[in-house]
Amino acid sequence: MQLLKVEPNGTAKAFLLSSAIWFVVGTTLGGIDATHLAAPELIDNIPFLVFGRLRPMHTNTVIFGFVGTSLMGAGFYLIPVMTRTVLYSERLGKLALWVWNLSILSGNVLLGLGYSQSREYAEWIWPVDIGILTAFALIFVNYLMTTLRRQEKILYVSVWYLFAALVFTWCFYFFGNAVWNPRTGSLAGLADANLAWFYGHGIIGLFMTPLAVAVAYYIVPIVSRAPLYSHSLSLIGFWTILVLYSHIGAHHIIQTPIPTWLKVVAITGSLSMLLPVATVLVNLWLTMRGRLGVLHANIAGKFVFAGLVWYALVCIAGPLQALPSVQRVTHLNNWVIAHSHLGVLGFAGFIGLAGIWLIIPRIIGRPLYEKRLADIQYWLLIFGLTAFHLVLSTAGLIQGNSWLNGEAIYRTLPMMHIYMVLRLFSGLFIIGAAYIGLYNLLRTLYWPGKIKEGLP
Amino acid sequence: MKMVPMVIVTGCLLIFSAVLFISMLLPWHTISEAPSAVVRARTPLEEEGRRIYQNNGCTFCHTQFVRPFDWGSGSERISQSGDYVLDVPHLVGTERWGPDLSQEGGLHPDDWHVAHFINPRFVRPESVMPNWEFLGMDQIRALIAYKQSLGFKLADHRMARQNFWKEKALEAFRAGPDENVRWLHDHVPAPWRELPNPYPTTDYRLNRGKRIYQGFCIGCHGPIGDGMGPAQPYLDPPPLNFTLLKGRGISGGILYYQIMNGITGTAMPFFKEELESEKIWSVGEYVAVYFIGETDSRRETVTIDIANEIADSPLKKEEE
Ligand code: HEM
Ligand code: HEM
Repeated sequence: MQLLKVEPNGTAKAFLLSSAIWFVVGTTLGGIDATHLAAPELIDNIPFLVFGRLRPMHTNTVIFGFVGTSLMGAGFYLIPVMTRTVLYSERLGKLALWVWNLSILSGNVLLGLGYSQSREYAEWIWPVDIGILTAFALIFVNYLMTTLRRQEKILYVSVWYLFAALVFTWCFYFFGNAVWNPRTGSLAGLADANLAWFYGHGIIGLFMTPLAVAVAYYIVPIVSRAPLYSHSLSLIGFWTILVLYSHIGAHHIIQTPIPTWLKVVAITGSLSMLLPVATVLVNLWLTMRGRLGVLHANIAGKFVFAGLVWYALVCIAGPLQALPSVQRVTHLNNWVIAHSHLGVLGFAGFIGLAGIWLIIPRIIGRPLYEKRLADIQYWLLIFGLTAFHLVLSTAGLIQGNSWLNGEAIYRTLPMMHIYMVLRLFSGLFIIGAAYIGLYNLLRTLYWPGKIKEGLP
Repeated sequence: MKMVPMVIVTGCLLIFSAVLFISMLLPWHTISEAPSAVVRARTPLEEEGRRIYQNNGCTFCHTQFVRPFDWGSGSERISQSGDYVLDVPHLVGTERWGPDLSQEGGLHPDDWHVAHFINPRFVRPESVMPNWEFLGMDQIRALIAYKQSLGFKLADHRMARQNFWKEKALEAFRAGPDENVRWLHDHVPAPWRELPNPYPTTDYRLNRGKRIYQGFCIGCHGPIGDGMGPAQPYLDPPPLNFTLLKGRGISGGILYYQIMNGITGTAMPFFKEELESEKIWSVGEYVAVYFIGETDSRRETVTIDIANEIADSPLKKEEE
């Protein structure tokens, strides 16, 4: 059973490597997707690559494959470290890895072949859902059993977030995909739209966010070599995010004829999201204050810091764009796409990368193959994402304002062209960063060459 | 609070249950299950088309709901919660690269849709929609059936109108150019028929007309206005060959009226939602000058001169 080979921290390593591979796949798919919007007939009449099929392949690959895999992989390393024990079962971990990766792969291939439930981030059909749910359950059991055998009495805040993420995500995934309806994976009518966004927001707010916060809570104090500022703030941030983030999904559909009370819940909830976000950010800021130099001397620290800055920006924009008056302009256009990339890549993805670059050298006991390559990846991503975000936000404002002023969508398409070309161009930096990252990781793991001086 | 695994996991489950109750179960039971007045059952072919729509991710570029402040096609009717009772899964959508489709049924006749699915740029030159030729004609037929059902009874009403006029238009087309042109012009109200293009022919106007022609008309009527654009093989009746209009009583007013309102039953859509007055006059003038070879622009000047007109100023003549 080579595939389930047991070695210390083998599961964490395999998850992190998988994530780097999915990062390459996901961004490449995104790049092809972007060419469609800039030049619709460049890649033409290939069923597998048509925009409508490729888009969910891109989103699911980056969300589950890249972000999810890196952060949960980090969890496989962090939980044993924080509980001062070893992972309950490396073999179970490897099993989870394969179930997880094969589910992502088969889900995407099926999408390419034209099997889709057409609900955002829930496009994968029923058999794939079962695979994903199984993988989540296996990971949860492994985390839990490890924690139950802990040597360390006090559970650090990162552990809380990892558990919360898995419990919530399993539940959200189960209900959101209406797993009891295998044929359709959905309910009927607007209730289904509400369920789909209850779920969709769960994936954003209770899968990616707590996982990323968990990893940030670990990396910031370790790398800046300072104790966490406040335990109470950790507690407040933790429970409030679970209560508030989980029920604001309807802010994705407030312009549809759903019941008004539901809109009120979603909008007030979105505004109050500032509380848990600010709590976490303040706690981490006060931890690293005065030590930014130390933090930035480390590549993982750099990635985490940038990730938290993006987090602050996304979560200032988020509540505002939940307001009906703002959504009149920003809904249904590229503004939201800009926001998504800032959140998923900028916040969750950056912290996932921080996890990779912190943990891999520790596991294998060697520094990175080239620290400079990781730096280059960092700067490519900073530039690429900033440009991507500015370009798409601008495009979104143009679309939104034109429509509001009575311009037909068709008339706004020529205006969009240049922005789609620029987005493709800025996307190339992100894609390049993904390839460089994978190269650096593979060299570090399998072909380090001459060991360079210096600590990881 | 002592954070042990028990506390965390139980806490999470409790919170999730509460949230599930408030944000999913409660709406599930309070969202109206009563169909709205327009809803009717879908035919098997329409259901099949809906599955194709779903599997190919059309919903990533098209919404299916109209908001009170929308202007685009379909905005004559704002969506109601009862419109969706038959939708499993929902296809409400969150992005618009193309128009909202909730009232798409009957906006165009079937032949327009065939051309549009084979290559959207055949009929909409600036579209970014993918070509769907690879689906094959069977799936395209099913997709069209679904599209023509969007809006349910309202769509049926519009389809009946399309079919009624299609028959008339075909009849006229088969009767030959003289008869066809007479039929077309007879359906334009008399004051419009007699109305000349009120603006003088100028370069800038022709240039604007050309820009509009390329963005809106060229796919059907073709680069030289002979009705042989790339969409032509799919359309029945075929797009009009403009050269036929010469000497057959064409006027600026007729051109304007037809561009504004389209010719229901044929692939010629209405452009009143997409083109403002100036643009319609300009593209009409472009067609008249370049393809018909006959223009009535500014035939009589009985109006008060328009403030920004410089074509007939002495200075302009001097410059030339
Ligand atoms: C306080 C925090 C946040 C709030 C209140 C918030 C609010 C919103 C709102 C209102 C929308 C819908 C916009 C529209 O459709 O008009 C949205 C979309 C989205 N948000 Fe956030 N956001 C927050 C943070 C985040 C974070 C941290 C991430 C990523 C991890 C994220 C990822 C997304 C994505 C992917 C979408 C697009 C969904 C889609 O339509 O496909 N958001 N957000
Ligand atoms: C790891 C990096 C990336 C992440 C995490 C990511 C994430 C996402 C997400 C969550 C969405 C859905 C947005 C929504 O529904 O509101 C999306 C859509 C999209 N992304 Fe990415 N993306 C990444 C990189 C890229 C790159 C490099 C490109 C192209 C160069 C790209 C092109 C696109 C396109 C074209 C769409 C569809 C937009 C539309 O429908 O208008 N993405 N991405």
